[in-house]
Amino acid sequence: MMEITRDTLMAFADGQLDADASARVEAYLAANPEAAAELAQLQRQNSAIQALFAPAAAEPVPSRLDPHRLALAQSRNRWQTATRAAMIVGVLGIGMAAGWLLRPVTDNPALYNRLIADAVSAHTVFVAENRHAVEVSGDETEHLSSWLSNRLGTGLAMPDLATAGFSFLGGRLLPAPAIPGGRAAQLMYEDASGERVTLYITPATGVDGPALELVRLGDDNALYWASAIITCTIVGPQPAESLKAMANVVFAQLTPASPAPVYREL
Amino acid sequence: MPSDLVADFLDELETCVPALRRYARALTRNIDRADDLVQDCLERAISRRGLFRPTGPMRSWLFTILTNLHRNARRSEYRRGETLDLDALPELGTPAPQPGYVALAELSRAIDTLPLEQKEVLLLITLEGLAYAEAATILDIPLGTLMSRLGRARATLRQLTGAAQEPHLRSVK
Repeated sequence: MMEITRDTLMAFADGQLDADASARVEAYLAANPEAAAELAQLQRQNSAIQALFAPAAAEPVPSRLDPHRLALAQSRNRWQTATRAAMIVGVLGIGMAAGWLLRPVTDNPALYNRLIADAVSAHTVFVAENRHAVEVSGDETEHLSSWLSNRLGTGLAMPDLATAGFSFLGGRLLPAPAIPGGRAAQLMYEDASGERVTLYITPATGVDGPALELVRLGDDNALYWASAIITCTIVGPQPAESLKAMANVVFAQLTPASPAPVYREL
Repeated sequence: MPSDLVADFLDELETCVPALRRYARALTRNIDRADDLVQDCLERAISRRGLFRPTGPMRSWLFTILTNLHRNARRSEYRRGETLDLDALPELGTPAPQPGYVALAELSRAIDTLPLEQKEVLLLITLEGLAYAEAATILDIPLGTLMSRLGRARATLRQLTGAAQEPHLRSVK
């Protein structure tokens, strides 16, 4: 027969023993009144503790302890937190955008770089178009000239690049949020083999930077040039030398009074 | 977690709430503090339900969370220098099956004098009726430690309630 210890009695009182062990304890208790008294005491303790605290489990559960409600509140909170975070990001973004838009334009030497980038973007987008490459066809040179001159707020002639082997396809008006006037003109030319070049022209107001810059962006070369009145970026896949030759013709026609440009390559 | 699993999880959680309230009430002796504890426990369980493996017993997991929250709360109460009012005894609820047989108020005061580690063991076993092994897992202690704490708690109670000297001891069957 196994030894019945105090721990065994306790385990018996707490209902921890299996049927076999319980039967052995019961047999032992029948023969040992002291152990039986001790067990009775343990059982009395257990039922007293039950009597003290068990009623709490029978009370109606307050709604704040309903897991479904808590889960709902939690997901709502998480959503609110996310919304709040998004709002903070949004406000920061607006602040940064406003800071960028309201920055003193003349203090920003990188603005011309932005113009070059915009010129290349516009070039990439529109030279790929066939029927809609231009907004107003090159047949209407006079109309184009007066329209774009009005919109840009500066006199703009439509350069003739026939001597360089390019025919005039036409032009379009583009937004140019980086500069004070907010508008730019794009003129498009095409040679006999179908290669196209574009001129991206903006007023020079508020644009600082070098008078000339030649950069390569992707497959295209971009030649930027600024006079006191306008900036012009010539974009095309042609080698730099061809663009320069073309640029001389363009500059002469856009601003006949300007001196011949001096190239600075990067 | 798919939404029907979430609903199952919440339903199962709901079935554990009465036991959690009972245990928390016995630990804190304060209905508001106890329900705050249970609410914290449920919120934690809901936000960590991804960590809960549906195969394990949810009850053990919840008791573990509640026990830890209670210990943390007590630690910070001690840091703040708050004291528990031992005289503010709760209502005693339903009377014992044999009224007056054991002085419940005396027992209640005696339980309050127990070290927390003994009190936790005592309540998980005698009040919640958990298996020793499950309680040992919840409290993260070896089985032997659990049994010795339980034995010491009972001996203290017996001494403090004067049960050892009671001449009219009778067996409760």
